[in-house]
Amino acid sequence: MNTPVEAERQRRLMAQLLASRADASALPTRESGARALRGLQAYRANADTSAARALGTAFPTVQTLVGAEDFEHLAREFWRAAPPQRGDLGEWGAGFAAWLSEHPQLTDWPYLGDCARLDWALHQCERAADDAFDAASIARLGDTEPELLQLDLVASLALVESRWPIGMILDAHRRDDAAAFAAVREAIAHSTAESVLVARRGWRAEAKVVDAVTTAWTRSLLAGEPLAAALAAAGDAFDFTVWLTQAIQSGWVKGIRVTRD
Amino acid sequence: MHQPGQAACTGDALRAGIGLRQPHYAEVIESKPPLGFIEVHSENFFADGGAALAVLHQARERYDVSLHGVGLGLGSAAGVDAWHLERLERLVQRIDPLRVSDHASFARAPQSPGSAVLHANDLLPLAFTPAALAILCANVTQVQERLKRPILVENLSAYLSFADDSIAEPALFAALCERSGCGMLLDVNNIMVNALNEGVDDPLAHCKRYIDALPPGIVGEIHLAGYCETDQIVIDDHGSRVRADVWALYEHALRRFGALPTLVEWDTDVPPLAVLTGEADHASMLLQRVAAGDTVAA
Repeated sequence: MNTPVEAERQRRLMAQLLASRADASALPTRESGARALRGLQAYRANADTSAARALGTAFPTVQTLVGAEDFEHLAREFWRAAPPQRGDLGEWGAGFAAWLSEHPQLTDWPYLGDCARLDWALHQCERAADDAFDAASIARLGDTEPELLQLDLVASLALVESRWPIGMILDAHRRDDAAAFAAVREAIAHSTAESVLVARRGWRAEAKVVDAVTTAWTRSLLAGEPLAAALAAAGDAFDFTVWLTQAIQSGWVKGIRVTRD
Repeated sequence: MHQPGQAACTGDALRAGIGLRQPHYAEVIESKPPLGFIEVHSENFFADGGAALAVLHQARERYDVSLHGVGLGLGSAAGVDAWHLERLERLVQRIDPLRVSDHASFARAPQSPGSAVLHANDLLPLAFTPAALAILCANVTQVQERLKRPILVENLSAYLSFADDSIAEPALFAALCERSGCGMLLDVNNIMVNALNEGVDDPLAHCKRYIDALPPGIVGEIHLAGYCETDQIVIDDHGSRVRADVWALYEHALRRFGALPTLVEWDTDVPPLAVLTGEADHASMLLQRVAAGDTVAA
């Protein structure tokens, strides 16, 4: 068995699929000339289609912001800059937001990376585990000190903090409403920061802009801090009872557990 | 392990299945059209939870489900991705599928020597050499041992082939099935696409010889789909009705192997469900004629 020969053959084809320009001349194929190039181009076209489809599914707001044609170019570029390492394209794109933020041709869109972070959080929310609520665990609130408790949120819940009005941008593009876009432009001009809570309603991910108190509270919980520390971070203005009622009704809470004796 | 290539259809199984794709999820669940089984791409259900997985569980209550992978990269010299295999094993445990299958292709390789192994997310062509066969056998064996069941491996439509190919494709599948205990998923459309791209004089006769060269008993499922012609090359795009030449080849395969589980795939420009089930109905009619001992028109 000559495994190194096959490994090198496969590596060379992979390299040609990712090269900036298609060149089949160095591949050890039976086909030659234009026919070999056409065969290679078929695979490269598959990759382009997969890139645009996968990222378009995960980043619909970014796609709308930059337009379908430019988005396809970005998708092709990202595929070659950070190709997938796994065979589930639903998992590919975690680095797209950071890549967009540093893209030299996108400096006029400083909020684009944060919009991508929000898109990715919504995408991941809809793929997250269907956590069940441990209702019995709520009794721990009555028999255990908050210093010893941790409130676990469901895996689908996320918080995206930005110095840009990313919730307004998302909403405007979903509604495609002129007045909403005017409000977005004004908010961007005033550098309006927004934090967005991402959670599932039914099977769909929803985004909700939250205030500074809820942001601090949610951030602490997602960081795995004890309940007492999370309450301290939220401050006196935070009403835990009201929040807990809403959180249980909305399916945000997985349960409460004792972290130590 | 049961023998995957010896599961001839009887009774209700004499109905073809369809590939269940997202545009048809709700309609299939609600209307429950008469189908032999449904087949899904395994990787579309690797997520931890969410709507797609819920739909698959609903579909499983109504139909037998076949899990058809496009990402194991069974011919990869870099091996099978442990993460991928773990996700597939979990899905198999969740769904209890009728069959599990993937392709005789590679997907995983580094871009440069010593760099990270990438995943092309495509069905890349294998060389037909003893070394490539050995890699394929090793990877298939690893998957079967992990899943504790035999799998089916599908022949590819390939847009490139290699100058040092030394094993005919039917012989490669015969050896793979004998050595690993897997079965073959025979895609008759792929055979035709390859013949057309090869430019043979009589594509249908060429494809029939391919089928005649396969040992009886190794084929566990047959795939049908449409192809399209572009400049210089025929693309296996699964975006149209099954062509007449592919139906003819399917009938030839049925005459040789008997009635076998059959699937109609349609992945791009997905039509109304009735069009797809109409194609499946035609396949079912041919299956039932073969099972009844009627001669399928040559």
